[in-house]
Amino acid sequence: MLQKNFKKALRGVIASSLTFISGPAFAIDLNMPVGVTPMSHDVYDLHMYAFWVCVGIGIVVFGLMLISIIWHRKAAGHQPAQFHENTVIEVIWTIIPFIILIALAIPASKVLVDMTNTSDPDMSVKIEGYQWKWQYDYLQDGFSYFSTLAADSNAASQLDSKLSPESVPHYLRDVDHPMVVPTGKKIRLLITANDVIHSWWVEDFAVKVDAIPGFVNQAWIKVDKPGTYRGSCSQLCGRGHAFMPIVVVAEGWDDYQKWVAAMQTSHGAFINPATLQPEQNGSPVVYAPAELNFNAPTPAPTQPIAASTPVAAPSPTPTIAAAEVKPAGKPTVAAAKTWTMATAMARGKQVFDANCAACHMADGKGNPAMGVPAIAAGPIPNGALAAHITLVLHGKGIMPAWGNILDDADLAAVITYERNSFGNHQGDLVQPAQIKAAR
Amino acid sequence: MYNTADAHHPEHPSGIWRWITTTNHKDIGTLYLCFSLLMFFVGGAFAMLIRAELFKPGMQLMDPLFFNEMATLHGLVMIFGAIMPAFVGLANWMIPMMVGAPDMALPRMNNWSFWILPFAFILLLSTLFMPGGAPAGGWTMYAPLMLQTGTAFPFTIFAIHLMGISSVMGAINIIATILNLRAPGMTLMKMPLFVWCWLITAYLLIAVMPVLAGAVTMELMDKYFGTSFFNAAGGGDPLLFQHVFWFFGHPEVYIMVLPAFGIISEIIPTFSRKPLFGYTSMVYAVASIAFLSFIVWAHHMFTVGMPLSADLFFMFTTMLIAVPTGVKVFNWVATMWRGALSFETPMLFAIAFVFLFTIGGFSGVMLALVPADWQYHDTYFVVAHFHYVLVTGSAFAIMGAVYYWLPKWTGHMYNETLAKWHFWLSVISVNVLYFPMHFLGLAGMNRRLPDYPVQFTDLNQIVSVGGFVFGVSQLLFVACIILCVRGGKKAEAKVWEGALGLEWTLPSPPPYHSFTEPPAANLIWAHPYQND
Repeated sequence: MLQKNFKKALRGVIASSLTFISGPAFAIDLNMPVGVTPMSHDVYDLHMYAFWVCVGIGIVVFGLMLISIIWHRKAAGHQPAQFHENTVIEVIWTIIPFIILIALAIPASKVLVDMTNTSDPDMSVKIEGYQWKWQYDYLQDGFSYFSTLAADSNAASQLDSKLSPESVPHYLRDVDHPMVVPTGKKIRLLITANDVIHSWWVEDFAVKVDAIPGFVNQAWIKVDKPGTYRGSCSQLCGRGHAFMPIVVVAEGWDDYQKWVAAMQTSHGAFINPATLQPEQNGSPVVYAPAELNFNAPTPAPTQPIAASTPVAAPSPTPTIAAAEVKPAGKPTVAAAKTWTMATAMARGKQVFDANCAACHMADGKGNPAMGVPAIAAGPIPNGALAAHITLVLHGKGIMPAWGNILDDADLAAVITYERNSFGNHQGDLVQPAQIKAAR
Repeated sequence: MYNTADAHHPEHPSGIWRWITTTNHKDIGTLYLCFSLLMFFVGGAFAMLIRAELFKPGMQLMDPLFFNEMATLHGLVMIFGAIMPAFVGLANWMIPMMVGAPDMALPRMNNWSFWILPFAFILLLSTLFMPGGAPAGGWTMYAPLMLQTGTAFPFTIFAIHLMGISSVMGAINIIATILNLRAPGMTLMKMPLFVWCWLITAYLLIAVMPVLAGAVTMELMDKYFGTSFFNAAGGGDPLLFQHVFWFFGHPEVYIMVLPAFGIISEIIPTFSRKPLFGYTSMVYAVASIAFLSFIVWAHHMFTVGMPLSADLFFMFTTMLIAVPTGVKVFNWVATMWRGALSFETPMLFAIAFVFLFTIGGFSGVMLALVPADWQYHDTYFVVAHFHYVLVTGSAFAIMGAVYYWLPKWTGHMYNETLAKWHFWLSVISVNVLYFPMHFLGLAGMNRRLPDYPVQFTDLNQIVSVGGFVFGVSQLLFVACIILCVRGGKKAEAKVWEGALGLEWTLPSPPPYHSFTEPPAANLIWAHPYQND
């Protein structure tokens, strides 16, 4: 107990002194965060322990070197000794590092055994990495959704963007739909990937696990404190590697249950066209995800998504109510949704910016360097509609099979958008029923 | 540089043909060193672009994909184009002179192993102009991401095959020279440490370069011949690539640092005017490091989800490497202890090496602790670690070696003032460049990011400024070399007061064929490493 308090106090002193040093000068702490899980505390202690051991060795070795450099100079008239071996001292300085290493290895092994013990979880969440987004699948609760870079970060990160990253709150560390977990529960994370290797890292949890296509890795977290924790993909995964952040919201059990209930109703915020707001006062339609407000059981006014886009006022015009709970990991087939040209184009733009722009670029010019064809004046959006739908549904080469990721309504919207924007004027309005028929 | 009208070869061609057809160890050593200097600036230019883009958050200069191409090529060019050829160049120049031989054992193969390299790098760099761009999957070329490379893919792999062939041939030549051409009386345990380190490095090269060739060939098969080595859907495993790659990759780390250990073990005794401390333990330490390097590879993969037992095994073996490495550092410090130190440029680089390489070693021990590695892995903490061991380690050792032996090669002293400017600008800027990377990594900045959250801006700007100053400072290095080749104070045979070893018994510059007759036995017995 005493030892634990002492440790806590020491940790506080170190953290605050480092903050004091860094506080006035830098925007970040210069040290690893202590974090909010039991494991992250252990890892922090191990890190500081190893750090001080290194400092100690450094003082001895560098100190001896400095003494030599200062006193044993030829310019100071020092005459060289001629000794060149001493078995006793050589044995001693082989054994001492060995002992120091054992003293490091024992606590490290203890923490490691604890970290890899994923048994007896209270719940499990499957996390799947995609180029370049994350999918969270709540296995027990039967819903899943995608989490992509927030629209304002996305806009500001474009090469020709006029938006300054400084003006975006949580630039590159914000998503449209965060992962939500309850506090105080042992949660097992099952981590995999769809295309290439990604790595799911939230520093405050001390969890970094590679997401490998075809294999499922495990980790566990138990978050002490409610709050919003931010992380990112840490394994190079292609062009969008810097642009697939992780946001985890930890909240009390009751709030979490409300969120789960809301998610089960909407079965995934990402694919819920019911929240689409109609056009108002000529301003662009904004996709306003009511699910983002976790603490209120009823839909509440929402945050603006893009700084430059005005928010439409909430208005009671949901056209459909899809109440079906979908099986985990599979896209939901939205019920009899019918698009008008205006709603399809508005929704299509959002789907395009969130999913397609990473490769086809926000201006639809494609990325010839990567072998990605243009949408603007491209052969597919200006060719036969059936071929366009087939390509988007089933993918080809590095083009993913979006039929597995997006629902019919979003697919219909984005195909409509692609055929009628970036200078394309095909005039088609694709309906979800057509996508369903083409699947 | 040296007397080209040598009596033994009055008719060897002049001009460009001399360099294309040469089988002389000094000519080939010069070619290797010039090539590596050129590649150092090519890889450095890529790094400058990376640091320019990272000066501010947001994308300013390039597409994220081009950034990934730069990061990939920077790694490949620096490792295979700058550091490895520089060490082979030093081996070519120095090993025959240090063991008392006239030339390398296999001179024609020597010519070929160098002349493969320019073609390999023309192939690699030409991918920048291909549709789909240069490879962008990182120098580690992990599957399945690497399989998304466009036209550049087969060219990159063929370039790597060529580099591997060149390295293996160079290594065979070095082993053959050391084992067969030593002067009578020079037993293995009387060899200079640079020769010992290179002998062990050459065995590492022969052991692991074919492994790399195998790994990238499997990727080639997966992409073009329908195999599924790394494709889970076809029964393969993406992790197989990482295991095979790092079975090459970790010994490769020591391939890039063991010759540096050898150089430092030559320079420190010379300027301490005192024999190397613990010669025997140095040899055994290098041999142990080489052995251990084969059983630690998975410490590059602690986050891939290995079984607990594997994590523990690789953690313990990795920590074990600190023991022989520590022995080497202690021996260097003990060599300096109670010597009569002077601080010419080679010694400055050697002292900086011991300081800064040790810092890289400390972060290495921290990275070995698996739970902590989960936080450090793939962040700028790792970038800081391996640049401390490769830039302030290997590259500083190479620069020290060039200043140490340049008077021997050219017959002229270099400009000490200019060289000291080069050293001090480099050593200060390199720490401004790499030290803040530790903090960025701990605060959560991943490596290989074209763009980053705004809270990392100020430290990234410091890092970039350090990078630009370090880059520009290297022009002084070129200036020093060019001025020294062109002229300068005449160098004596024994350039440095405290220098011991056979190379200093030859005139500066040495004759075209180093030792046409074996050196007298008493010269070898005067060697600093004798124990009696």
